[in-house]
Amino acid sequence: MNRIKNILVSLGSLDRRVIFIIVGLSVLIPLLKPDWVSLPIKNKAHSQRVFDELNLLEPNSKVLLSFDYGPSTMPEIHPMAIALLRHMFAKNIKVYGIALWDTGNFMSTDAFSQVSKEFEIAYDKDYVNLGYKPGGEAVIQGLTSDFRTKYKSDLSGNNIDHLLLMKNVNNLEDFDFVISLSAGDPGSKQWVQFGTDPSNIPFTTGCTSIQVTDIIPYVENNQILGILEGMPGAAEYESLVETELHTMGVSLTPGKASSMMSAQSIAHIVIVLFIIFGNISYFSRRREDRNNS
Amino acid sequence: MISLEIFGAWLAVLLTLCILSFLYDDNPFYKAAEHLYIGMSAGYALVMAFWQGVRPNLFGRLWPQIPTDENSSLFQTIWYSIYDFFNLITTGFGIFDRSIFPEGGIPEYDEIKLIYLIPFILGIFMLLRLVPKVGWLARWAIAYIVGMAAGLRFYRYLTSDILAQIQASAVDFSLDWVGVINGLILFIGTLTGLVYFFFSSEHKGSIGTLSKIGIYFLMIKFGASFGYAVMGRISLLIGRIDELKQFSTSEYHYATPILSIFIIICLAIWTFAGKGVSREHSVS
Repeated sequence: MNRIKNILVSLGSLDRRVIFIIVGLSVLIPLLKPDWVSLPIKNKAHSQRVFDELNLLEPNSKVLLSFDYGPSTMPEIHPMAIALLRHMFAKNIKVYGIALWDTGNFMSTDAFSQVSKEFEIAYDKDYVNLGYKPGGEAVIQGLTSDFRTKYKSDLSGNNIDHLLLMKNVNNLEDFDFVISLSAGDPGSKQWVQFGTDPSNIPFTTGCTSIQVTDIIPYVENNQILGILEGMPGAAEYESLVETELHTMGVSLTPGKASSMMSAQSIAHIVIVLFIIFGNISYFSRRREDRNNS
Repeated sequence: MISLEIFGAWLAVLLTLCILSFLYDDNPFYKAAEHLYIGMSAGYALVMAFWQGVRPNLFGRLWPQIPTDENSSLFQTIWYSIYDFFNLITTGFGIFDRSIFPEGGIPEYDEIKLIYLIPFILGIFMLLRLVPKVGWLARWAIAYIVGMAAGLRFYRYLTSDILAQIQASAVDFSLDWVGVINGLILFIGTLTGLVYFFFSSEHKGSIGTLSKIGIYFLMIKFGASFGYAVMGRISLLIGRIDELKQFSTSEYHYATPILSIFIIICLAIWTFAGKGVSREHSVS
């Protein structure tokens, strides 16, 4: 018994660099050898709700997709953008891309170009990319009254009055659904407060893990219809879209988040184990110190 | 032939490894990458703020590209001569090509909006902070920003966050028993959490018990936040490692293994030269 205790205590007192290497390996091995560790993905109610809400939209519905993130949160949010676009283009939904973050332009351009290779879609027929506007909540506020006060041209510099998809779009109320892919402020919170709550437009979000506990109260109160929670949310949505597209006879390459989820799960197990070892080590030492004194 | 893509991959790998080297110890590779990151971010933010914000939204509204002919008013002529003066300064009196202030005005808007002189002047006031004698003028601009932001946010925050959330914390007894229990937990959590932040009376007796229950609810919230934070950080690590894996192939001339060995050798030399591992790190 004492031997086991000593092993646990020494594991809890490991040099931090050893722990870093173990966490690094727990991420690296599942990525290098995905066949060794293959864990199933189970859909949570929040991801299912996002999917169901978008699935209810009629073909030719208008969806405003706001890219409120950048390269620093790409592993978590970009797979969501790809999966959402795949879902919407498969259902022939018209997508209007904007960005409240300056780095959102790179993300939207990359996401549209990736998905446009998989589907027969055309710019200004199936989607438009209006790009970034500075101002955060002021931009959202402007969009609720008049789209053209904020956007005169799209990302490529085309006058929006010459774009076919922009013909009947005057303000936020002309959209059937709004989605924010958010990594912070401005993002989901500002969309609720300044855009979708006052205009009463269905809204959903995909956000970074760290934001989830702040956004969940809006989801529970139906101010946000479901939520994609970080990388697991992206993986769940990918699997839902994959199943849906399979029934439609469309086969696509698997999403990026799904392939990373095994690494995520293994790394979490390792961290939880080290938290337990650290606590055992701490309490054992404290007891020894008390006994000695 | 090294293409721009391969150069970009090598640079991405090098900077990623430089940042990750901090896990070993604070070292020159990490410092160089950190300084580069801060400089790049600041420069990028400044350029974006000017070209996406100030130029189209301020200058574009003050000096829009409007058709000029013989009937142009005297005001318009004088107004656009100020524009030409700005252009003269920004082009270094004609040395550089004109880019900020194009010929005839900035495209997008079609009407001069003089109301935008107010933010223009307030913007100049903000910059005057750099001049100690008239630095106090910046307070006017700050006062405007604070007042405007508070006014803009107050009503929306009150509606979406406070009123809507109070409404949501009410127990709906028309639901099934699971929903009612969930609603009750939510109600007790909200109430006891608020009691914990009630400092007008001492936390003793029934108030003390309620605030203690509130602490447990808060701790559950903090625990959930910590769990999600760990998940987020691991996701970012997975993203970087996935990219390192992608750049380790022959297509990218083995960028990851070569640069990893290079950095490990350099860190070893740096450590044995007595400059590394300045302090003992252990988990306790």
